[in-house]
Amino acid sequence: MSAALNEVAIGLRGVSGGYGGRPVVDAIDLEIAVGDRVAVVGPNGAGKSTLLRLMTGLIAPTAGRIEVAGTPLANLDRRDVARRIAVVPQLASLPFSARVEEIVALGRLPHEDPIRGLRPADRAAVSAAIDRVGLGRLVGRDVGELSLGERQLVLIAVAVAQDAPIVILDEPTVHLDIRHQIDVMDLLADLNEHDGRTVIAVLHDLHLAARSTPRVLVLDGGRIVADGPPRDALGPAVMGEVFRVDPAELPVGPWSAEKAPA
Amino acid sequence: MPAFRSSDSHLGVRSARRPLRALLAASLFLLAACASAATPRPTSPPDSTGSLVAPATATPAPSPSASPAFPTTLTGDDGTSVTLAAAPGHIVSLTPAETEVLFALGAGSRVVGKVEDIANFPPEAKDVPVVGTYSGIDVEKIIGLGTDLVIAGGSGGTPQDAIDKLRSLKIPVLVVYASDVGGTLADIALTGSAVGKSAEATALANSMQAGFDQVAAATKGATAPRVFYETGDQPAIYGIADNSVYAQMITLAGGTPITTGSATNWEMSIEKLVTANPDLIILGDSAYGVTADAVAKRPGWSGLAAVKAKAIKPINDIIVTRPGPRLVDGLRLLVAAIHPEVVLPSAAPDGSPAASGS
Amino acid sequence: MATRQDAVPLRTLGVMRHPLSRRPVALAGAGVVALILALLAGVGIGSVAVAPGDTIAIVAHRLFGLDLGAHWSAAAETIVWDLRLPRVLEAMAVGLGLAVAGATFQGLLRNPLADPYVLGTASGAALGAAIAVLIPIRIVFLEFGLLQGFAFLGALGSIAAVYRLARVGGTSPMTSLLLTGYALGSLLAAGLAMAMYLSGTALRQIFSYLLGSFDSASWGRLAGAAPIILVASLLIALRSRSLNGLLLGEETAAHLGIEVRRERAILLALASLVTAAAVAVSGLIGFIGLVVPHVVRLVVGPNARLVLPLSALGGAVLLSVADLVARSLGEVPVGVVTAVIGAPFFLLILRRTQRGYEL
Repeated sequence: MSAALNEVAIGLRGVSGGYGGRPVVDAIDLEIAVGDRVAVVGPNGAGKSTLLRLMTGLIAPTAGRIEVAGTPLANLDRRDVARRIAVVPQLASLPFSARVEEIVALGRLPHEDPIRGLRPADRAAVSAAIDRVGLGRLVGRDVGELSLGERQLVLIAVAVAQDAPIVILDEPTVHLDIRHQIDVMDLLADLNEHDGRTVIAVLHDLHLAARSTPRVLVLDGGRIVADGPPRDALGPAVMGEVFRVDPAELPVGPWSAEKAPA
Repeated sequence: MPAFRSSDSHLGVRSARRPLRALLAASLFLLAACASAATPRPTSPPDSTGSLVAPATATPAPSPSASPAFPTTLTGDDGTSVTLAAAPGHIVSLTPAETEVLFALGAGSRVVGKVEDIANFPPEAKDVPVVGTYSGIDVEKIIGLGTDLVIAGGSGGTPQDAIDKLRSLKIPVLVVYASDVGGTLADIALTGSAVGKSAEATALANSMQAGFDQVAAATKGATAPRVFYETGDQPAIYGIADNSVYAQMITLAGGTPITTGSATNWEMSIEKLVTANPDLIILGDSAYGVTADAVAKRPGWSGLAAVKAKAIKPINDIIVTRPGPRLVDGLRLLVAAIHPEVVLPSAAPDGSPAASGS
Repeated sequence: MATRQDAVPLRTLGVMRHPLSRRPVALAGAGVVALILALLAGVGIGSVAVAPGDTIAIVAHRLFGLDLGAHWSAAAETIVWDLRLPRVLEAMAVGLGLAVAGATFQGLLRNPLADPYVLGTASGAALGAAIAVLIPIRIVFLEFGLLQGFAFLGALGSIAAVYRLARVGGTSPMTSLLLTGYALGSLLAAGLAMAMYLSGTALRQIFSYLLGSFDSASWGRLAGAAPIILVASLLIALRSRSLNGLLLGEETAAHLGIEVRRERAILLALASLVTAAAVAVSGLIGFIGLVVPHVVRLVVGPNARLVLPLSALGGAVLLSVADLVARSLGEVPVGVVTAVIGAPFFLLILRRTQRGYEL
């Protein structure tokens, strides 16, 4: 867990929410501390994406309250939120005729001057983000030519350039091959450990979650049913009750009877 | 109406606008159909009283014989007054009929610009610069010619935008629009007043009236055959609308016009035509390649009295309907088609109106 | 591919290759030169020959009261000052507006086939114009007739209706907007068909509106339309940030700090206003609003801060040149010329662009 024990990055108190009056997330209490690295897992329809939308203010809760770094989310406008939370979307389509650096520069939108656009400091942040994600050799390339893995890295670079203390990712490894999955998870670890950013990632791959995040939140039916290190949160009971699988059918993991090295 | 130089290409490829595009395509069809009819096809204005036949005694507008003719203020057929300080020396005619009228009145030498005329009449007007076509009027050219009077066609004959534009540039624009024979004579008088040729206009109108009277006398008492006057065959069959100048001319020529039953619709339903059973079919669209043989072979037409009797005759549509000096010639053509047995004196009493220009 | 080493940011790439520019300044300079040339050609060339010296003297005299010693005819002055100059400027204003509106609609709808007319503006304006033609009343206010007024209101009314009808659960998703625009456009086109059918001899007037032209350009109409077009275009350009945010989709735009719903409504309103003002004075001129922004985007990339001003320049130049060609040829509608000039150019650029052009 994090070093800064007392600071809360995102806090939820009795939060419910959903679409069109149908609650998907039900009375959730959650605290994510500054510097946490959290994987959010759960079966399809558990409410993972809805939880992310609530935390980022895209939808308003029907009950409860959400705070970001001590400020009620409802008091923040979009730009305020964007300076605090960067979001890497799942499968964002990229625009036509755009180069890698032009897309990464979009991360500076919450900071740039509305009239003059990018200033030197913004340009420096874009360069740094491109380096950070390891996209240096793709500068000048059209995003249409990139592989899916490279596109995902571009979107992560956008979030890095956004320079927000909290980074939220929605299934950042979906559609990626194993090499890219590991690269992305390593990058998240680095952003967390090296920069001290709070990282929250929805993951569908339990193995990846177990392997690379210190804290796992398990959602089921709109509620948090487990929260803790993978060893505890992804134990055999959770696997059976939430994911409806017999741990014996799975490769070795925290859920296995004989605990595997994480 | 000559076809629009049209293209819907700017309405282009976007799927969201396909309905509009299809609509344009359809309207192009419609226009093409009208195009095959003839040059100006005046229809009755909506407020027309419907007096189809000009009273035989109708006199042209009273001749303003009292001299100083200028300055003068005249009211065009669009209700707009035009004041002319002096006799215009640079006249632009924006209707083919007015070009004929101006030359017939002896003002041809002052005509500096004209609208394109597919009939190229009179021959003396051949070299007058063309300042307008069906697709548009070249206002810049009209200004460049030093024009001091424009005679334009009403009811859309000349685009209203061009009329407005010219007026905003202080060019006097006299609008004429004859929906019938009486209107044609009145417009000749109006034109005469505008160009300082009132006496000539009166003489021309009187001679035309005499020509009409002569025809009326010659066809008096003859039975009036049912006449279908075809103005177009693509994509549907087009005839003549109620109260149109065509209907009036056919009546004057001693025929019974078969009309579409509407004052605005020119499309003739075949069923209606079969029911009306014309004794004679006149092909106003013969200039567009429609022949009697082709008409006889049309499915469903073989039973028509006119087809059985082989009474299908081509005609020069422009002469029949252009509201100018040759309207009498047009009427004589119609009489020749409808009543070939009637023998008209070989020429109008004091020479053919069209040749009376001095 | 990020290897584990280069995912760790230990090295900086010295000087980055000029990341955010693709020589837009040079392009803008070329655009301004082209605009000036187009203006000179538009004022200097016409169906009546006016000596270049006289043309300059007339403009100098009218504009600055200068007497350059030349003597010209009243006809020449009318031709240069009252016919050509307002016409060229109106074509430029309309071209500018259509290109900016096209870029905005493409950005908002994230659809390469979007143009200023996509949300029913064209059908609305056309129906408005047709109805105006059918009403036997002639009202002229500041050189604007019923036709211009109805076309303007028709364009704005149709887009407002599309926006209202497309609302689903408080938002107007882009697909829903496009489909609603299509549906309403079809309905209005049916109305237009009926109006055209009933129009009799006025059909030609409706048709010439549908083809678009600058024949009736005047100072009065320029004074009415150009301020709306220019001010609204400028306001759009000042919201480049929002258009840039929308490049990655609405949800991502929200995450990047854009108030998506508000910005979209404002941008739609401004782009519609520009379009309505343009179609009211010139009729439906196509192609400019579709192609100019695409060409600009292919050359300078998607950044709205570059795309909007360069599209504005490109649209102004292209449409004024197209109008010059149209009136020189005499019988060709300007919309045909824009397509004939623009389409091959667009295809050439598409072919020369090695990169894919996908949505």
